[in-house]
Amino acid sequence: MSHWKKFWSVIGIIALILSLFVGTATAKKDVLVVMQEAEPVGLDLMRSSIQTTMSVCYNIHDTLFAPQEDASVKPRIAESWEKVDDLTWKIHIRHGVTFHNGEPVNAQAVKFSFERAFKDSLKNPHKGKLSAFKEVKVLDDYTILITTKEPYAPGLYILGYYLPIVPPKYIAKVGDEEYNIHPIGCGPYKLEKWVRGEEIVLTRYEKYYGPKPAFKKIIFKGVPEEASRIAALLTGEADVISGVSIHQRKKILASGKAYLTNQMGVMPYLGMNTYKPPFNNVKVRRAMNYAINRQLINKALFNGKAILCPGPISPRTFGHDPTLKPYPYDPARAKKLLSEAGYPNGFETRLAYPTYMSQIQEQAEAIAADLAKVGVKVKLEPYERAVMWQRYKARKHAMYIYWWDDAPEPDRYVYSLFNSKVRDYYYKNPEVDKLLDLGRTIMDRKKRAEVYHKIDRMLYNDAPWVFLYVIPEVFGVSNKVEYHGRRDGFLDMRTAKPKP
Amino acid sequence: MGRYILRRLWHTIYVVVGISMIAFFFIHLSGDPVMLMLPADASTQEIEELRQKLGFNDPLYVQYWHFATKAVQGDFGESLYYHVPAMELITERLPASLELAVAAMLVAFLVAVPLGILSAVKRGSFIDLGSMLGALFGLSMPHFWLGIMLILLFSVKLGWLPTSGRGGLSHLVMPALALGMSLMAMFARLTRSVMLEVLNQDYVRTARAKGLKERIVIGKHALKNALIPLVTVAGMQFGFLIGGTVIIETVFAWPGVGRLVVQAIFNRDYPLVQATVLVLAVLFVLVNLLVDLLYVYLDPQISYLEEK
Amino acid sequence: MIRDLIHSPTLRLWQDTFRELKRSRSAIVGGVLILLIVGTSIAFPLFYRVDPLAQDLMSRLMPPVWQSGGSWAHPLGTDNLGRDVLSRILYGSRVSLMVGFSSVLVAEIMGILLGLFSGYYGGKIDTVIMRVADIFMAYPFMLLTISVIAVLGNSILNLILVLGISDWVTYARTVRGSVLALKEKEFVRAAHSLGTRNRTILRRHIFPNILSPMLVLGTVRVANIIIWESGLSFLGMGVPPPRPTWGRMLAEGRLYITDAWWLVTLPGLAIMMTILAINLFGDGLRDALDPRLRNV
Repeated sequence: MSHWKKFWSVIGIIALILSLFVGTATAKKDVLVVMQEAEPVGLDLMRSSIQTTMSVCYNIHDTLFAPQEDASVKPRIAESWEKVDDLTWKIHIRHGVTFHNGEPVNAQAVKFSFERAFKDSLKNPHKGKLSAFKEVKVLDDYTILITTKEPYAPGLYILGYYLPIVPPKYIAKVGDEEYNIHPIGCGPYKLEKWVRGEEIVLTRYEKYYGPKPAFKKIIFKGVPEEASRIAALLTGEADVISGVSIHQRKKILASGKAYLTNQMGVMPYLGMNTYKPPFNNVKVRRAMNYAINRQLINKALFNGKAILCPGPISPRTFGHDPTLKPYPYDPARAKKLLSEAGYPNGFETRLAYPTYMSQIQEQAEAIAADLAKVGVKVKLEPYERAVMWQRYKARKHAMYIYWWDDAPEPDRYVYSLFNSKVRDYYYKNPEVDKLLDLGRTIMDRKKRAEVYHKIDRMLYNDAPWVFLYVIPEVFGVSNKVEYHGRRDGFLDMRTAKPKP
Repeated sequence: MGRYILRRLWHTIYVVVGISMIAFFFIHLSGDPVMLMLPADASTQEIEELRQKLGFNDPLYVQYWHFATKAVQGDFGESLYYHVPAMELITERLPASLELAVAAMLVAFLVAVPLGILSAVKRGSFIDLGSMLGALFGLSMPHFWLGIMLILLFSVKLGWLPTSGRGGLSHLVMPALALGMSLMAMFARLTRSVMLEVLNQDYVRTARAKGLKERIVIGKHALKNALIPLVTVAGMQFGFLIGGTVIIETVFAWPGVGRLVVQAIFNRDYPLVQATVLVLAVLFVLVNLLVDLLYVYLDPQISYLEEK
Repeated sequence: MIRDLIHSPTLRLWQDTFRELKRSRSAIVGGVLILLIVGTSIAFPLFYRVDPLAQDLMSRLMPPVWQSGGSWAHPLGTDNLGRDVLSRILYGSRVSLMVGFSSVLVAEIMGILLGLFSGYYGGKIDTVIMRVADIFMAYPFMLLTISVIAVLGNSILNLILVLGISDWVTYARTVRGSVLALKEKEFVRAAHSLGTRNRTILRRHIFPNILSPMLVLGTVRVANIIIWESGLSFLGMGVPPPRPTWGRMLAEGRLYITDAWWLVTLPGLAIMMTILAINLFGDGLRDALDPRLRNV
């Protein structure tokens, strides 16, 4: 019998210990806790293109310009600028801006940052996006000339994202590796500490030149499981969470503890290998577009909140052709096109997708079911990140799903995805190449739009992808905090404030 | 004694070398990370250069030799993904893993052993049936399911415990419980079956026949013998508890080694995978050395000193 | 006297086992349940013919029939793509049971053979086998399965082989331990002194006696493997879609854990029932097989 007693006393002790920790949630007014899907890989913006990493970086690092939702820019480190000619901008740098260690932000620092972005050993993943630029010339301590090889319309906007201004002396002292862990920037927040695997604590930089952010501290945490992030938002442990799938929204709203922001769109697309049969036939590719019931997928999986894409340029992006209508769901037409192409009974093929994408499995399965209805038997191939990418680059996919965010500036993604100089893994079209090269050089907005309309229409007809939809992703934000998400999806928290 | 220590040392060495080989070859066979390390528009020449620089073009055995000679000197290389020495990443996370493993083990033992003993002593009773059914429940719950359920109950509904992350004891409770549950079930069943066996042994019968109190019979004679297989299984499970907890770590955002190494496998981060597997193996060997020493204490009949 | 010793614990074993099994309540309940589960998984198309892969996006996340909003068209509701949960559970039983039992079988066969040789013959064979075992043992099980799947890809066959091969050591070690103990037992020594051949001793005296720990271990492992398959699915490395498995249903259903309880709970219950059945039967069998526990 005494064993019973012992057993219960142990249980009792455990319960007692548990009860000690009940209700230890601390009140916090100055601290903002942000939970993302993963913690950053490093904190050097020039070394990573991963969304969760860049989000933290944009709080530490500032760029010359603040990119806007209409693909224009506003001043940041650059106080004013003027166009000298189609190839040159003259940029005046704000006086009195300092890095977190007191180093001055000046023309030399900008030049250093620009040159560092192209440094081979850094392997900057954004190097390609900056490739249109030629050089930075220092005129005086606060004036620079930045030149491009050819006229480059989205230039300032691109600089606003991909050229963080970094401190030359500090980097010379500590080296690139150390800089990736203990960065010094000129943004609104400075790094206080990074406990890897647990949290990154940023403190407000009191000498920041711009508007003072409301929160003294921002804590970034990586919480991979969606259910856990939502739970943390509902219990008040997190103030802002990313990665909320559509079916979870109702619950967050119903809790009365948090609300949702509109945020960037994830634009998944289904690419086909146009170099090999059956997808080397444009009829087959169009048939695929008719065969997939995107309207229904949108309604069922995304509560109708997704935006169907007619062509490769998202309807929210500058330059999409507004006269294009999304391919309708028309299995009969798909079948007809297939038999015209010589596949009256359909064919067998493979569809690869990366397992780490959210809600991807169900989309892939729904797509496969639709294709089966027109006789195309699809073998699903879920791949982990590395394998997916390796096979992608080795041209081993037959069909594949990847995604991009639908940035307001078309050059940012259409160029990367369709110019054969960047990637010609599955599709190449010399005319599109030419137009893409042309489009980035036209400074007149209206004329520029016409070029992109042409690209949009051309690709719509040639159908190298099954054009899917833009899924508006959301952030969950606590009712105690006011924060409007950004179209680019980066968690730049300088605008967040406590609600009165 | 000296010979015994030498033998254990030799044991450690061949296990570690064997494991380093397996880890090395598996991760290298699964493709290299060069593509992942470069931007999408990298030229084939750039890819080749990086491959050359990282030594991936050498034959595997040469690469292994490079790795091994450096590893012996304590240099496990730099993580290709984090750009930080691999060993540093591991030592940062190991305390969290150990903490969780020990807590889970403790929870499992504290509940399972008393339950198992009771079930054995009162074989066929209500308690026996109940706890064994409970154990089966424990065995059939996937970690992530249990973890999410615990969060929904204790954090969201009751507001007692924090949802995730590492911190004080309050952060540890749910992950330890979720992780310890299947162990608990396993230990309870094992304790019961071993106790049943032991209780039927001659010396226990003798003890009973001598009129010793039931408590002493069970506590002293039976339990001590029943502990031997229990400790063995616990020792083997410890390896799993340290390295195999990726799911619990994912659900609770626990900064342990498990998620680190699984991510490293996904990223083909060779140095990190190799270093982690080695560290986990050494830990495992050490824990089991401890278990062996415990044997000697628990059962004087077993002696490692008189080797055949 | 000596002859009695040789024959008593082993020869009568198999004849007795069945008789004992029939006496054991838990074995009967477990056995009937297993038959029921396996029978259902084979025969369900005879009485329930709903395609487990047929999607109906407009009727997704329908609750089971007894809840408001449910219908007899889908007795256990539908999943996130409007597929019938009952038919997926039934169909999933085939894959899950196959993966669970086959992996354990692979591991048991490897483990028993290697353990027997290792323990009985000792010497060099023992050293080599046990060293390899040590290495496998110290290699974290989960990392081994994940790395192997990363190399081979995630088909059902690969999964079975990987799970089986990474798991043989536990069996081998247990077998070896039992064999070492049995070797010292009087009836084995006696058999030796009578000049019985090694193979015969192994088959007649040792093998039957190591079965009970193997069964106990095996039953627990089947459960572990069915669960572990769901863990692999959680990591995106389980049996690839569209084929449903209980594990993958659980892993995917967790995304809907608060909107659609039936998506995780029902396959979970199926797993639980199966594990319960296997374990009950295993316990009964264990009691029937273990000579020392017979008279309890």
